[in-house]
Order: sequence, then structure tokens, then C-alpha cells
Amino acid sequence: MKLALASAPASVESARKQPAIQVSNLSIVFDTRRGQTIAVDRVSFDVAPGEFICIVGPSGCGKSTVLNTIAGLEVPFEGDILVEGSRVYSPRPDVGMVFQQPHLFPWKSVRRNIAHGPRMLGKSRTEANAIADDLIAMVGLKRFADAYPNTLSGGMQQRVAIARALANQPRVLLMDEPFGALDAQTRAVMQDNLLELRDRIKATIVFVTHDIDEAIVLADRVLIMSAGPGRILREVAVKLPRPRSNSVMVEPTYLSLKKDCLDVIRAEGLRAFNQSDAS
Amino acid sequence: MQEGTSARQEIALRTDGRGRRPDSARLRRLNILVGALSLPLFIGLWELVSRSGAVNMVLFPPPTVVAAAVLEWIRSGQFLGDLLASLFRVTTGFIVGGLLGILLGILTGQFPVVSSLLSPLFHILRPIPPIAFVPIVILWFGLSEAGKLFLVVWGVFFTVWLSTHIGVQKVDRGLIRAALMLGTPRRQMLQEIVLLGALPYIVVGLRTAVSISFYTLVAAELAGAFAGIVYRIEIAQQNLQTGQVMGGLAALGLISFAADRLFSALAERTVWWR
Repeated sequence: MKLALASAPASVESARKQPAIQVSNLSIVFDTRRGQTIAVDRVSFDVAPGEFICIVGPSGCGKSTVLNTIAGLEVPFEGDILVEGSRVYSPRPDVGMVFQQPHLFPWKSVRRNIAHGPRMLGKSRTEANAIADDLIAMVGLKRFADAYPNTLSGGMQQRVAIARALANQPRVLLMDEPFGALDAQTRAVMQDNLLELRDRIKATIVFVTHDIDEAIVLADRVLIMSAGPGRILREVAVKLPRPRSNSVMVEPTYLSLKKDCLDVIRAEGLRAFNQSDAS
Repeated sequence: MQEGTSARQEIALRTDGRGRRPDSARLRRLNILVGALSLPLFIGLWELVSRSGAVNMVLFPPPTVVAAAVLEWIRSGQFLGDLLASLFRVTTGFIVGGLLGILLGILTGQFPVVSSLLSPLFHILRPIPPIAFVPIVILWFGLSEAGKLFLVVWGVFFTVWLSTHIGVQKVDRGLIRAALMLGTPRRQMLQEIVLLGALPYIVVGLRTAVSISFYTLVAAELAGAFAGIVYRIEIAQQNLQTGQVMGGLAALGLISFAADRLFSALAERTVWWR
């Protein structure tokens, strides 16, 4: 591999000392016309270096807000967020992000899109293009290096977006429902691609989705969130072997994990339903 | 996915082969024929009506008389002078008004303070037809070239300003967030993202401004000039040279048509990623 995208933790011990991400007592309150809405309520979790966690929850549970806050995009919050040991106030190049929409720069070719980050960090055009070309090969888009985004399919665009986020060699990669807008087949392929990619880049990944299957297939650990206000209901460790692929979905371990998750979600749904009934 | 497309194309071809294609081909050939006949037919009819005696030939001269007037116009050397004078006003006014419009559009689009300061004023001034400014322009500038440029600049500016302003405001916030996450400094956001994001809107504004610059040119030259296509039309009218008037109108039509075509060809290249 030509590219060392993020160095693995120096030792297991130092990894234990400092999580890649520490979220403690994170609360986010939005001002609305009818007063204040608590979007996220005292959420705390740690992510170990190199760990892959998925946050699942219904739409509107604040999972994307949590992710944006870690990215430094959501400004006012209460609590504490440490990434690689330092506080987050604004976007930083060691934290990469992939959004639900690819948000590629339409006026730049695939190569230039991916080279954008390194260019902004002061790399020369030649260096940036070399980084881009390595990543283009990694996501399997060699034939499309000079194509413009509007000529690519949704899945290919999202692959470019992932490559672009990796170009700055982030230690933390945040993914906000990146496959949410894709059809089922493309989605399965993308999940496999990401699993493969992940084994090579060794970055810490926080992946937000509302799809439990996707969460279990991808993650080392799944955080299940509830809506209104957003809280973490349960953490489920996914003890499925790696390297993994989409086909783990038929294994008994997988199915029992999924049942655990569904039970939590069903209980929460019932509670919310009864609450709204009573009020 | 590619297979699906080709299968669909195949079906489309087969249905066409079943009889729709000859029909549509015949229709297309007929359309081309009618299109080719349009102008000659129109000119022939005009010639006939003019010479039939049903209308006054002095006020409604036939195309042959118009053509003779135009030839004389060109031979006398006045045409070149008129053409250059008009083109100078249009292009200079367009460039100055366009640049001002883009500059201020970026400022009001990007900085809310500037927008609060200028937008109310611009929105009041913008709907006033530039022609309405002719009297005051004559007071201010007399019959000088500056007054004519002022009118064209005025007309072009507001169109380009508004479309640039809207373009800057409509730049996809997602692109800006993505750029921020990639380490793009905020002060570089304008050149890296905003300008290019607004470019399609700016180009549309400029293209609309091409025809506006010709409208205002007419007002400017009617207000008093010493050369120019519209000036020549006015002089010919005063001398009852109706052929020359019509020739002038045709020349004006041709020039603004050519300008519009030229600009749309340029515009396509400006937004290169489409």
C-alpha cells in the first residue's frame, strides 16, 4: 500500500489511555418558535482508536446532530467533546466527513475533487494528484479519474466522496447515512467496499444510519438512540469476525444480535407510543 | 444498469421500426422545407403588396428599395461608422455594467450587512425602465458619449447584479460544509466554492443583459447622437427615407441576433462542467 492513511495506535496501552473520541454529557438545545427543543440529551460515549461504531436511531433522534457536533459543524452545545485528546470548536482536517449527499464540487473532475483537501492543506498539485490517484484506485474508479461528478452514478459519486474525505488522512472518519440515498443493491456493494477499505485505512469511524442491518454488518459496536430527546438507549457489541462482508447477515450470531437490537427498539417504540397516548 | 439502458434503447428502436419512424421523418423533411421557404415567401409577399398600389410605396417601400438603401448606406461609408459607434456603446456599457453587477452581486450575496445596505435601494431603482432616465441623463451629460454609456451600464447592471446576488445566495450549503471539512479556509471559500457555484446564474444574467444592452442603446441614441445605427434610423425617418429606416431596423436585428448567438456559445464554454 502506497498510502499510510492513518497510523494505527502505537500500542494497545496508549490506546486504552486515550480514546479517539470522547463525548461526555453532550446536550444540544434548539431554539424554535414554540420555545426550546432538546435535540440531544446528555449523550456520552467513547470510541477507541481504530474502532468502527454505528449510531442507529429513528429519523429526528439527533444522531446526525451528534455527528455534526463531533465534526465541529454544529456550534452551540453543552458538554464536552474531545477528538484525539483536544476539544472541537470548528472543522479540522484530521476529522473527515462523508455526508448523505455526496456534495462533490460539480466543476471539478473526480481527481480534482479528491485532491482538493490536500491542496487546501498546502500540498503541491503534483503531490495532491498523486494522493488522489492512489485513492481513485482504492475505490475502483480509475476509468473515471477525469470525469465530472454529474456523469457518475449515485454510488460512484459516494465512492468519490469517501475517497475525498480520506485524502487528508483523517484519524477520524464521520459518515452521516452515506448510503441512505442508494438503492438496495448498490448499498450492499458499498457496504462491502467500505468494510474492505476500512481494513486498509485503520481510521476510527463513526457511522450514522437508521438501518439496523447496515449497522450490525459494519460496526464493532452499535449505539441505539431514541428520539425526542435523543438519548443512547443501549450499546451492543458486535462480535462478528473480521474481515467481514455483507453476507454475515445469514449467520446465527448476526441474527441473535439483530434480535437484541430489535427488542430494544420495540420496547422504546412502545414506551413512546404509550406516552403519546397518555398525554 | 447499462444493460437495462441498452435493452430500453432496443425496444425504442423496434417500435420506431414498426412505422413511427417513416412518418416522423417525412414530417421533419416537410418542416425543413417550410422553414427554408419562410423568408423568401415573406419577402416576396412584401414586394407584391408594396408594389400593388394598395399601400403608399413611400411609407411602405418594397424589399428591393430597402436593399438599395442599405447598399447605398454601406457604400457611403456611413454604415461602418454607425456600426462601430453602436457596437462601442453596447460592448463598453455591457462590460462595465456586467463587471459592476458581478462585483456588487457578490458583495450583497455574500455579506448580509452589504445586502441590508444596498438591496432596498437596488430593488427600488431596478424596476424603473432605463428609458425613463433619458431626460435626466441629457441634463447631466448633455449629448456626450458618457450619457449613452451611463444608460447602457444602468440597464445591464441591475440584471447582472440580481442574478449574481441570487446565484451567490443559492450556492449549495452542503458544498460549503464539505469544503470546510476538507480544510478550506473561510477566506478562500469565495474563490474556491461561491464564485463557481454562482457562475451558472451569473452567465444567465449576462445573457439576459445582452438584449437589455440593445434596448438601452436604442433609448441612448434616440436621445441625441452623432452616429449610430439607431441615430441613422431617426435621421432617415426625418428625411422620409423609409427604405433606410427599414434597413436600419434589419441591421439592428441582425447585430443583436449575432451578439446573442455569440454570447450563448461563449456561455456554454464558461460553465464547462455541464
